[in-house]
Amino acid sequence: MDHIKLIIILLYACLSIITGNGDRIKDMMFDGIDSSVPCYRRLNATHQIGCSSKRGGSTGVIHFCETIDDLQFILNSGTAGPYIPVLSTKIFSPDIVHNLSYSDKVSGLIVYTNEPVNFFSHDEKCPNNRFSVDGTCKNNGWNPWGTGLLYVDIPFPLFYVENENDTQKIKECFQTFNNFSFDTQKDRSLCSLELESFMFATTNTPTCQRRSNIVTNMNPVKLCDPLGDYNTWASLFPLVEGSDPNTKPINDFEYIIIAARSDTTSLFDKTTGAENPITSMVTLLSTAKLLKEMVGKWNNKIKKNILFILFTGETYDYIGSQRFLYDMELGLFPVDLPKNNTFLPIIYPENISLFIEISQLSYGKDVYVHYLEDNQKTVATFFNIMNSSTDSLFLHLVPNSLPPSSLHTFIRGNNSIQGMVITNHESEYINHYYNSFYDTSENIQYKYQNGSSIPNDSIQGNIGNIVTVLANSLYEEIIGTKYNGTATANLEMIDELFHCYLEDPSCKVHKAIRKVGMGGNILNLYIGVDIQDNILTDLIALTLAWFTGDLIEESGPNCTNIGKSHVFKYYNMSSNMDDLENKSCYRCTLNHTLAISPAFVIPDYDWSSNKYSSWSESAWRTIGVRIFLKPSPAHERSTIAIGSMIMVLAFVLTYFIKSRSNVLFPPEVFNDPPVNC
Amino acid sequence: MDLSKMPNERKLYLSKWYFISGLAFLPFIWAVNAVWFFNEAFRKPEYAEQKQIRKYVICSAVGALLWLIGLVTWVTIFQINRASWGEFADSISFIIPLGTP
Repeated sequence: MDHIKLIIILLYACLSIITGNGDRIKDMMFDGIDSSVPCYRRLNATHQIGCSSKRGGSTGVIHFCETIDDLQFILNSGTAGPYIPVLSTKIFSPDIVHNLSYSDKVSGLIVYTNEPVNFFSHDEKCPNNRFSVDGTCKNNGWNPWGTGLLYVDIPFPLFYVENENDTQKIKECFQTFNNFSFDTQKDRSLCSLELESFMFATTNTPTCQRRSNIVTNMNPVKLCDPLGDYNTWASLFPLVEGSDPNTKPINDFEYIIIAARSDTTSLFDKTTGAENPITSMVTLLSTAKLLKEMVGKWNNKIKKNILFILFTGETYDYIGSQRFLYDMELGLFPVDLPKNNTFLPIIYPENISLFIEISQLSYGKDVYVHYLEDNQKTVATFFNIMNSSTDSLFLHLVPNSLPPSSLHTFIRGNNSIQGMVITNHESEYINHYYNSFYDTSENIQYKYQNGSSIPNDSIQGNIGNIVTVLANSLYEEIIGTKYNGTATANLEMIDELFHCYLEDPSCKVHKAIRKVGMGGNILNLYIGVDIQDNILTDLIALTLAWFTGDLIEESGPNCTNIGKSHVFKYYNMSSNMDDLENKSCYRCTLNHTLAISPAFVIPDYDWSSNKYSSWSESAWRTIGVRIFLKPSPAHERSTIAIGSMIMVLAFVLTYFIKSRSNVLFPPEVFNDPPVNC
Repeated sequence: MDLSKMPNERKLYLSKWYFISGLAFLPFIWAVNAVWFFNEAFRKPEYAEQKQIRKYVICSAVGALLWLIGLVTWVTIFQINRASWGEFADSISFIIPLGTP
């Protein structure tokens, strides 16, 4: 018994010396690079694009490259391998990716920021060209800085490391273990990275959709999901007359669409989207707000109505607008009801007289209005109205020109719609960072003023001018007379909206419409997959609802959709963003339409027809970057040698113990004779 | 079952039934038959049933071999062409590997 007591005491003594923690050895060997963002794999009807690691992760020795020569050196004379080069965005280029694709010395790539770059856009020179009107992309293309890398199939994992501390961690480890006597590198213990971003889907969307739905498959896995979200729309005047629940549809409206896109993308899973699309979104929302203030209540003399629409997925071959037009042509917009129902008017493309798209805008007084010259009287008339209602902007008409925009979809539809695109460029983008994470507030020279007076020569002031011109012209277009009131764009609101989308989602506007803590992370403007809700869509929708809704009564429990005709939506929202506690009930015309490409909806859709966007995103299980110290080959060899020796020894020992077991266990002697037979 | 303790007619019966069950597309049973009764058929001193056992063993071995060749050929052809056959290949697969074309 004394022995057992002694053992227990010793055991406790050991435990008190070694502070117990539950980390497993395999986790203690690694250190996570948490600020890393991956490049995903996406697929369309014919190709796969983006990146994937090997199953279980790709590993390689870190090589921190300050210049191109560092990279070339390792490709030519690196002895240990494979390597994972770490490059700054300054030297990262499609040529490098192309060269590395053919090298077996590289198993992945890390990109980080150290100094500003002059241009960084990985979209095409002619974005969305295959789904645009033929011949609209000329010369250098709309996006002359575009490298097209976003649409390349990269055969190794690619990550962007956001945080400077993480970059420093990688660099220090490289300096300590790797960055000397490269000839003997292969014999040393080296600092390495493990990049894991294994993508399930391959080949193309039809293949991965088919494989996700095979009935004979014993291990059904969803390989890819269609890109998708919701378009947001609201009308200036309600589509019905009378008040809930006794409403009657107004069937003879002529509609003007004011559209903008609400999504962007990036080579990596991080978006900023200041110029594209936030400037357009803010302009659209502010125009809606100002126009609502100007026009007041509807009366039956007004025969024109406005639809404010924010299309999403436009970056990926116009997903949102394609679906919107598809629904409209089939008579499914705004709802799937018969043509002469008693709830809502059904709106067809024929009912749209003018389509105005707000595209990228920036600081600067020059505004360009693009349109295609095919008997476009309406456009010319509207341009003249705009031109006559401003002296603060220089408006230029650019005929026979159409930058990538949702309007392409509507022109290519069954009934070509007349329209124009308002933007800041004439023949090529001013934006040097189109669809990349460098399209930040600095790119549009935005500084948050937080309530103090906003200078006129700022982006806010400039957007304000455009909003005022647009709202005045639209007023004249729908009412028929010049606006003679005093309302102008609310610069403070524009300032606040930029702040919401670019810097802080828990801003005053979002508190006013939702009153919930959003956290500090900047909103992601990537469309995402259809099965995942996008918080940004909800926020934009509620903001649009707030701007175009009618304040009907004090807030209260009656402010709900329950027991109503569902023609309107009712929300309790603050009446003023500076007085959040003062709430009212808003009756809104806001609604959503699904933004999933018709290709995924039409039964037996012919993928080779290339009629609709076919983008999907691969599924994956784990994504991440970890740093670890790879043991030297000598160390590895000795480990396996010792292990093997111990195993052989154990066999031998067991054999001898077994063969001499009578020494340990004396043979049993039967004292009792067996029972008599 | 220990063959050495078995009467000869029992051995013949077993070998025969192993061969017949193998006809139901079960080449593995043929393989077992061929290996298990190899000693009986070829290496034991002659006895009355040996000739028949030998016949079943040879037939089983040849059958199993043909199956093996057939299967290896099919697996090779299928694995090489799986990606290019597209929809047809997917529809005759029970497991589709992730992340490969």
